[in-house]
Amino acid sequence: MNLPGIEYLSLGLGIVLFLAGLWGIIHQKNIIKIIISFSVLDTSIHLILVSIGYMRNRTAPIIDSAVSKTDAASQVVDPLPQALVLTAIVIGVGITALMLTYALKLFNEKGTLEIDKFKSLKW
Amino acid sequence: MVNPVFIIVVLLGAGFLLGLFRKTGISLARVAGLLALAFPLYVSVGWMLHFIGQTAQPYVVYTAGTVPPFSINLRMGPDEAFLTAAINMLGFFGFIYLFRLFKSQGVSTIILYLVLFMGLNVIVMTRDIFNLFVFLEIASIALIGLVLVNKGIDALSAGFKYLIAVSVISSILLVGIGFIYYYSGTLNIDGFIENNSLVMKGLSTAVFLVLVAVVLELKAFPANGWALDVYQSAHPGISALISAGTATASLFVLYKLLPFGGHLWLQVAAVIGLVTFVGSNMLGIAQKNANRLLGYSSVGQIGLLVAVIGFSDDLGSHLRMIFFGLFISHFLSKAGLFWLSGMAGEEEISKWSVLRKKPALLLIFGMFVFSLIGFPPFPSFYGKWQLVMDLSGNGQILWIALILLGTMFEGVYLFRWLGFAIKHEVDESKAPDTAAEKMIPAGAFALLLLGASWVSNAYFPGAMKTSFLPLYFILFLFLIDFLPLVIKNTLSILSLGYYGWRLYPSIQDDTLRLVFAGIFLIGGMLTLFAGYSEKGKRPGFYPFALMMYAGLIGLVEADNLFGFFFAWELMTMGSYILIIRGKKSLVHAYNYMLFSLGGALLILFGIALTVAGQPDISLSMLASPAYPGWAYALLAVGFLTKTAALGLHIWLPGAHAEAESDVSPMVSGILLKAGAFGLVILFLAMGGGEAGRHPLLYALGWLGALTALGGNLMAVFQEDAKRLLAYSSVGNLGYILFAFSFMTHIGWLTGLTYSINHFLFKTLLFLAIGGVVMRVKTHNMYEMGGLIKRMPWSFIAVLVGIITLAGIPPLSGFAGKWLFYNAVIAKGWFLQGALVFFAGTIAFLYCFKLIYSVFLGQEKDRFRKVKEAPVWYIIPQFILIVGIMIFSARPEIVLKPIGALLSQAAFFPSEPLAWENVTAYTNLGYWSGFNIMLVIGAMFVVLLGWLLLMSRKAQKVKQFNIVYAGEAPFTPETTHFSHNMFAPYNKALGFLIHPVATQFWLGVNNTFHALAESARKIYSGNGQSYIIHIVAYIVVVYLILS
Repeated sequence: MNLPGIEYLSLGLGIVLFLAGLWGIIHQKNIIKIIISFSVLDTSIHLILVSIGYMRNRTAPIIDSAVSKTDAASQVVDPLPQALVLTAIVIGVGITALMLTYALKLFNEKGTLEIDKFKSLKW
Repeated sequence: MVNPVFIIVVLLGAGFLLGLFRKTGISLARVAGLLALAFPLYVSVGWMLHFIGQTAQPYVVYTAGTVPPFSINLRMGPDEAFLTAAINMLGFFGFIYLFRLFKSQGVSTIILYLVLFMGLNVIVMTRDIFNLFVFLEIASIALIGLVLVNKGIDALSAGFKYLIAVSVISSILLVGIGFIYYYSGTLNIDGFIENNSLVMKGLSTAVFLVLVAVVLELKAFPANGWALDVYQSAHPGISALISAGTATASLFVLYKLLPFGGHLWLQVAAVIGLVTFVGSNMLGIAQKNANRLLGYSSVGQIGLLVAVIGFSDDLGSHLRMIFFGLFISHFLSKAGLFWLSGMAGEEEISKWSVLRKKPALLLIFGMFVFSLIGFPPFPSFYGKWQLVMDLSGNGQILWIALILLGTMFEGVYLFRWLGFAIKHEVDESKAPDTAAEKMIPAGAFALLLLGASWVSNAYFPGAMKTSFLPLYFILFLFLIDFLPLVIKNTLSILSLGYYGWRLYPSIQDDTLRLVFAGIFLIGGMLTLFAGYSEKGKRPGFYPFALMMYAGLIGLVEADNLFGFFFAWELMTMGSYILIIRGKKSLVHAYNYMLFSLGGALLILFGIALTVAGQPDISLSMLASPAYPGWAYALLAVGFLTKTAALGLHIWLPGAHAEAESDVSPMVSGILLKAGAFGLVILFLAMGGGEAGRHPLLYALGWLGALTALGGNLMAVFQEDAKRLLAYSSVGNLGYILFAFSFMTHIGWLTGLTYSINHFLFKTLLFLAIGGVVMRVKTHNMYEMGGLIKRMPWSFIAVLVGIITLAGIPPLSGFAGKWLFYNAVIAKGWFLQGALVFFAGTIAFLYCFKLIYSVFLGQEKDRFRKVKEAPVWYIIPQFILIVGIMIFSARPEIVLKPIGALLSQAAFFPSEPLAWENVTAYTNLGYWSGFNIMLVIGAMFVVLLGWLLLMSRKAQKVKQFNIVYAGEAPFTPETTHFSHNMFAPYNKALGFLIHPVATQFWLGVNNTFHALAESARKIYSGNGQSYIIHIVAYIVVVYLILS
């Protein structure tokens, strides 16, 4: 019996987390929770990217004693998505930090983190 | 050429190095930052100059020592060079604008600023899609950091909403990029476009995610609430960067990535762009906050640019030129407007009147506004023209309609705003911030806008170049605006004379054009003459007066449709500023502008449907339009907005009556003829014969008759002398329309005679009444009376004027009447003719009221010491009277060559008017202006002599030496029956002048404002609703596409 591959599992999980994160951003009222939801969303994208690069029955793209330079192309998974994920993680951290800075300043300003309290601009 | 990679090196390096300056001092850091920003400007401008005029290959930077897809590459081609040059220009001047702010903000703000511009440069240059994502994020983070410059809860919460929205959008982008890589195996944009098609289902979804994210980054309507909040609350210097800088980079991203989606996505972009353009501008009309309004406008303009990119296939080789025109206008104007907003320091658009304290700022503001809407000579005018022409060539009529509709909405709020700045009452305690660091960027962008205008004209395709000579003179007048009035006025008069002398040889054989050129130029000189009586320097008057006249004469001169429309818009712009100068003209000038703008857009539409993409745009194209029915109807209605036909007339009375004393004759006697000339051009192209029975002409004939009746009837019930004359103009233009729509030889002679007459007597009357009003300081006729003794010269002028107007022999009004009856009988339009005849008799009523209430009757106490009108008013009046006399006695001087032209050129050869010396013959009879003049002159002399003889022994009575109804009156008011003089007629006919048109347009106005008011409630201010909008937008677009 063939189990679905790990890449499908991770992809499926990624999509579920993506939707969960999006739901959280839309639904949560507390700004910190919204930021956490964003982190979930961000992580889900990393999962999706990694699963995209995965190839069945291959190993990590590290050239060492186990994988020689000449065989690398046929033995390792696609390294590029992993590199992208690294970059995306860095960017995600930057954005999360900025969000938290904003959250701090918003709290200092109004003493609350309810997103509904920050509707002074409209129309 | 400097390797463009150094742009990144320098900005990033400077960013890191500035970190070291944290301690040593902000002053040095600011200078270093400015220098760092000057470098990319130097590099990209260098590349831009390199690419101009030659087809050099784009320069490509390969990183990591290898070629794509194994590395990231940057490209510097002509497009990239131009856009980075624009962005770096913004970076440089934007930095100067924030120079003082940086001092209080510290070094980290400068670092963020440099990082933002590094990001924007890379976004434009990179050819790698993931790299693109990274730098989009970097730019966003830097930007949102910069939003924090403004303290306070508004900027904070707006920045947070922006951050969340941008994060969600870029998450979607990233997922899309991941799947694109999965399906195509490359991240290189060029590699993808070369090797992949969208046949694979999964790939098309990936492309969908990427492109929809880019579109959302561009603030697609209505999922753009997050952006509006930031526009409103951020420091104006930062909002300028978003509106001009970020948007520029994102637009180019769309341009780069749109080929992913193939033809389908071009259409999607076109639809999304136009929906945004129309939607955002429509919601903008209810907005009163300046920065938020600019936000709505930015979103709309960018939508239009998105649509232009979407039209790539239709526009072909014109794409770049159109994009340049629309883009550069938006880019320079919007950045400039945000900067001005910071200088005005006012949130309410009605308080922008503060700009008046610095006329230079007001001038720049006006430039930016006109350039946003697409007036000449600004680049957007060229862009919009070509866009509309090319779309119509491809049969995209609906798109044109949407573009024009969006432009109209934009005009509604931008002209309201401009009007407030020019005219709204000003708070004396406030003044705009004119620190050098703020003046420099705004001024520089205004100059760049002028430069871009020149470039647009110089590089506009085909033989459509317009002579900039009048524009240079107008510019010169702006520069010498500080000089005394005498010099400016004399120069203006001389320039009109010179222009006429220069123009004469080219139009001397074309009597039709000669007549209108004469009206515009001679009329212009005469009315300018009155300006000598003004006190002070009259700042800002002459450039715009000359702009109006340049436009008017440009209409006559134009031999192609582009030149004609260019002149038309120039005339509109100048006349708007002239009209708004009147004391109470704010709302009237606004009405005038809206009707004019609407009319101009209809004319543009009509021209587009005429030309439909053909290269030939000469005026003769009007004879065979691609879509004759629509083209003719749109053009006719467009011209009728200027002639104020019934239903489109509501702007006229206020605009003409409230204008300054010498402006009223300009706009009433002269400017209205522009519409008449437009109709002449249009009808000539439609031709006589069979085409003369076009149903449109029949309808216009009726409209003319009804306008004559309505205008005259409304004039009768006015108490305001200038309003009376204004309504009389409505009626007279009705006659003219009626006569021209006959499309017969005599009909046209009638129309032209009416046009000349109306110019002569209406200019005369407005000058005379204007002179009176200057002295008595009121427009109300019932307050005047008995002024004949104080102002005998004005009295004579008005007397001659109303005799001409009423068509009483021997003056030329009678010539018009005689021709008119001939024409009506020959044509057989008896019912309409009867209406016009009835209107003519009504004219007697208001003519009588005018002369009786003002000059006859009882002299009022407060006016016993008023002087005659200024001599500078009297002189042109008597020149006009001489003109009337000549035209009355020898009408054949003008009418004979016109008749010959109408016959020769085979316009209307049949049933011509025959001349035998001074006598005109038709099938129905004959008439001699000269003989009538002699007879009536002799009668006049005899009667006058007899009267003088008889009244030798008459006893002179004092004013109150009378008994009236058994009482001896002791105030003049009790015996001067003037107020509500025609009350009985009002009772009988008043229902005819029920303000239906005013109510209709008011209803239109209210409907749209109510719609905008309720629709913009979707921007609830709740950050989460904005995310829902984004998600919903994606879902809806996906559903529509699949």
